Amino acid sequence: MSISKLFLGKRGEKLPDDNFDAPPTERSGWHHTLYVIQRDVLAMFSVGWIVLILFCAVFAPVISPYPDQGRGRNNAEARLLPPSTNTLLGTDNLGRDMLSRLIFGARPAILSALVVVTAAVIIGTPLGAVAGYYGGWIDELIMRITDLFLAFPSLLLAMAIVSFAGPSLMNAVLALVVSWWPWYTRLVRSTTRSLRAQYFVEAARSIGVKDRVIITRHILPNTITPIIVQATIDIGTVILATTSLAFIGLGTQAPNADWGLMIEEGRQFLRQAWWYSMFPGIAIFLTVLAFNLIGDTLRDIFDPRQYR
Amino acid sequence: MQKIEYTVRRLFLSVVVLLGMTVVTFMLTRIVPSNPAALYLGNRARPEQIEAAIEELGLNDPLPEQYVRYLDDLLHGDLGESLATRRPVTLEITSRLAATGELLLVSLLIAIVVGIPLGVFSAQLHGKPADIFVRAFSIIGVSLPQFWLGLLLQLTFGLGLGLPLASRIDSSLRFTSPIQDITGFFLFDSLVTGNWVAFQDVALHLILPAVTLAAYPIGLIARMTRATMLEVMQQNYIRTAEAYGLNSRLIVYRYALKNAIIPTLTVIGLTLAYSLTGAFYVEIIFNWPGLGLFTARSFLNLDFPAIMGITLFGATGYILINLLIDLLQAYIDPRVSLS
Amino acid sequence: MKLRVTLFLVFSSLMILVGVSSAQDTQVLSVASTAGVTTWNPAVSFSTEALYMANIYETLVVVNAPDAEEEYSPALATDWSTSEDGLTWTFNLREGVTFHDGAALTADAVVRSVNLAREIGGAGFIWFPLDTVEAVDDLTVQFNMSYPAPLPLVLGSTYGAWIVSPNALDAYEADDSYFDSGVASGTGPYMLSEYTPDAEVILMANENYWGGWNDSQFDIVQISIVADDVTQEQLLRGGEVDLALRLPPSSYQSFADDPDYTVETESTLFNYLGFLNVLRPPLDSVTFRQALSYATPYQQIIDVAAEGLGTQAFGAVPQGVFPFSDSVPQYTYDVEQAQALLEESGVDPSTVSLRITYAAENAIEEVIAPLLKDAWEEALGIEVNIEGILFGQQWDEAKSDPANAQDVFLLLYWPTYSDAGADNLWSMFRSSETPFFNLSYWANETFDALIDEAGTTSGTDVDAALDLYTQAQTIMVEEAPGLFFMDTSTWYAVPTYLTGFEYNLNYPFSINFYNIEIAP
Repeated sequence: MSISKLFLGKRGEKLPDDNFDAPPTERSGWHHTLYVIQRDVLAMFSVGWIVLILFCAVFAPVISPYPDQGRGRNNAEARLLPPSTNTLLGTDNLGRDMLSRLIFGARPAILSALVVVTAAVIIGTPLGAVAGYYGGWIDELIMRITDLFLAFPSLLLAMAIVSFAGPSLMNAVLALVVSWWPWYTRLVRSTTRSLRAQYFVEAARSIGVKDRVIITRHILPNTITPIIVQATIDIGTVILATTSLAFIGLGTQAPNADWGLMIEEGRQFLRQAWWYSMFPGIAIFLTVLAFNLIGDTLRDIFDPRQYR
Repeated sequence: MQKIEYTVRRLFLSVVVLLGMTVVTFMLTRIVPSNPAALYLGNRARPEQIEAAIEELGLNDPLPEQYVRYLDDLLHGDLGESLATRRPVTLEITSRLAATGELLLVSLLIAIVVGIPLGVFSAQLHGKPADIFVRAFSIIGVSLPQFWLGLLLQLTFGLGLGLPLASRIDSSLRFTSPIQDITGFFLFDSLVTGNWVAFQDVALHLILPAVTLAAYPIGLIARMTRATMLEVMQQNYIRTAEAYGLNSRLIVYRYALKNAIIPTLTVIGLTLAYSLTGAFYVEIIFNWPGLGLFTARSFLNLDFPAIMGITLFGATGYILINLLIDLLQAYIDPRVSLS
Repeated sequence: MKLRVTLFLVFSSLMILVGVSSAQDTQVLSVASTAGVTTWNPAVSFSTEALYMANIYETLVVVNAPDAEEEYSPALATDWSTSEDGLTWTFNLREGVTFHDGAALTADAVVRSVNLAREIGGAGFIWFPLDTVEAVDDLTVQFNMSYPAPLPLVLGSTYGAWIVSPNALDAYEADDSYFDSGVASGTGPYMLSEYTPDAEVILMANENYWGGWNDSQFDIVQISIVADDVTQEQLLRGGEVDLALRLPPSSYQSFADDPDYTVETESTLFNYLGFLNVLRPPLDSVTFRQALSYATPYQQIIDVAAEGLGTQAFGAVPQGVFPFSDSVPQYTYDVEQAQALLEESGVDPSTVSLRITYAAENAIEEVIAPLLKDAWEEALGIEVNIEGILFGQQWDEAKSDPANAQDVFLLLYWPTYSDAGADNLWSMFRSSETPFFNLSYWANETFDALIDEAGTTSGTDVDAALDLYTQAQTIMVEEAPGLFFMDTSTWYAVPTYLTGFEYNLNYPFSINFYNIEIAP
């Protein structure tokens, strides 16, 4: 599902690392300078954009020009107005200010992404550590369970959940968590396996330190870096997933603002009101792009080779 | 020896995972709907009809017994009957397979034809502005929401250039130059029968959906090719070749790309799994008469047997692709440890 | 470029399809429609497949649109008479009509078709007033009623009144899955040629049709099933179809401005309403329900949700069908009145939280719901939540446990046949033990008695029945178990190269392809 996952490879062990933005090792001079500059500039913009989106999400009621409309209150007299000084990004089918809707739309996007990724890390990490540390049948069992969950398409799972529980952002988030955690299990497992072979773990074992202590004291802290890199990129990917689900009616429900839902609402007005579907799409795109770029930069900083 | 053992073990475990899948889909079809018999009969059923249907469908039997029956049906290729069309789900799926398959393959082809040269090019020009451009291009490709990209293409190329915005073929063609059904892949069938009118029409219809679906894999493949090319090109034999003063083009295409292609193939395989989900959205937006559109409609009708049939089908595909990639890697790439 | 309905030279494959031996010019009409097929059994059919059924099968009479001179047109029956007490109706059948399979139309076929529809039909209830039906001779059918009712309305019903070939009925008796694969045999102008579920229906002209054919009519009608209105517009504009039967409401103006299209606006019997759950406080209070009725922005709903294509409803009977009456009272959007009634009801608005459910797949309800929410919250200070779910789920919840179900149920309703007294009022507001469509769960004895009496009167004295129905509706509106939003119009963008496109509001799901011709 996610780009990062594909790059981590299957169970994060077989693919060559993606040194997409690894600094050129041999060449120097202006190439390198150019590299550093574009890297920093892009990362800077990305951080700036994400801070802005976070700010929007937290302070939506304060900074929106029309907070009521952001929450869903209609203003039917002002339907489908093009961008103007009054409504910078135009208005939607119910006359609501698009800018306010976009600002409020940052909330479900950010919140759901944080929840999904956090939950996936919390569920996936201990399982991965246990599987990687003990190996053998425990490993095999856990890994087959992850296979099972990975093979279950999250989209269809979301549909199944929604068919009996009704559509809502929470149900969409639930479906995503179910299909997301195994990636972390795989990631942590492969890191754990390489750590386990190292001297300090062997040493700890040989002096009789308990497994639980080794895992929590020595293994888990060393898996944090790859998890952070993975999680950063995943936030972008989850935003893509939740907005996609909202687009087909399985996520956030009207009258709440959601970028994916707004694109869907604007679809029938593509001809008359281009701004309706355009701006929410740009918002999703830039946000996902920013998380991807930061993820890459982090990976770069932390040296990709350590979690091959 | 070790390879055979590995293969057998992977096969066995795949079967176990598949069995697990059937348990999950079974539970979802039997337990999730509050009343499967009522769903089966539709909105206007009377209570006594529902009673009769519960009996007929064996919903009163113990769950394990029902599961065994379900499994038995599955083994006979029976995924149940669609509530909406009253036809076997298996038939519904197979009759739509070619449409989705054609879309997937064409998009993948676009992704490969564009992605691999982009990656090679980018690796050759490592660090130069062109490299940065290619990298930006590929990361943009993976950050675009597909459903929005589809709309964007419809707005620009469809409304602007007059490309077909929806469906797979101009329906009147069936009366003027009908496509002879050989494989169900319209592009192929019209090509081998020399039906140029249909071929052209089908190709035009494919452009927008296939490009939309290809955006993501293009980015992935370009990235992967670039990364592996860079790695390969730093290896000794390439350096030796360079030192001998071999033509750099020859080095890149003859030696480096050949070795970089395996991991790229892996990514292509994994991309297929991703594209299945992508195809769902693309089919909705472009009214492409494949599995995705069927899934969407099944959901609208709360057609549980259909949804679960597709799930099982998709999951099987995913497991098979994974198995294949694993085995390929094991046989081709000596670095893969089989323990 | 627009003129896509060129004369196509037919190639070999079609030859086989049509079964003709020489090449000839064939005219194909391509249509995009949302109409899926839930069943090919004409007796059971009660859904969108009416689009195809109505071109394949025929009824004894056709109910004309309200502006026509005559109330009915003869179809398979040429003329009819009724006894003075309204209890016996005699119909003479058209001579020389054959079914698609070659069988002749006989009184016996009519009797069997009616009896089957009555027994197993989704719309079987339309035959409620009928006692027995019998064949007097080969071409005469007699209907004996239990009470006088306007029988031609029933015989011209959208559903449950099609006459089916006796061969098909035999086959169905032998094997009840006979129709499932997509077979049909009626007397209509078109025959079912091919059916691909969820994708396509192909209808082929019935050369022996009793109405005859001319050169401008279409030999083949190819219908693509396209669920999404935006896609339909794309297909129409791209010239891939000649007609798109469901276009996005928002595209009205752009088609109206386009010289290549004639936009036909037609009133319909589609009626939007909201059921207030009278079992759930505070909706058990009549005054509170009235307050809600006054706080509903009718004009805004028409302007925004229906893009102006509608009028505020007079009760639950849409304009253009019996027993519509504009003397049924209407609520106006009057915030002061609403607030006064709220106060009178003694309900503390801060304690009220209402949940509105609507069908997520209905684009108009999707807009009505937020408009209602905002208007009620603003006018009355109550809390309103809206929930868009699939109609199947909405319906399920409403019927399972009314007292714990939704507070407000938004519904799009239309009469099955052109008697909205016996259908709309009876189905939606008459009390019943287990809820069917009466999703207000409202029970009023006076109302029940009035519509029951009106139902038995309508066969003999239409004016008296109308009066009784109007009295009943007046009580209903005053008691306000429902919100009566609007009767909607629909519109079709017809390319100027076609003529004869007609919409008859009595047949909301069908278009007669037989009437459509290439413009001279």
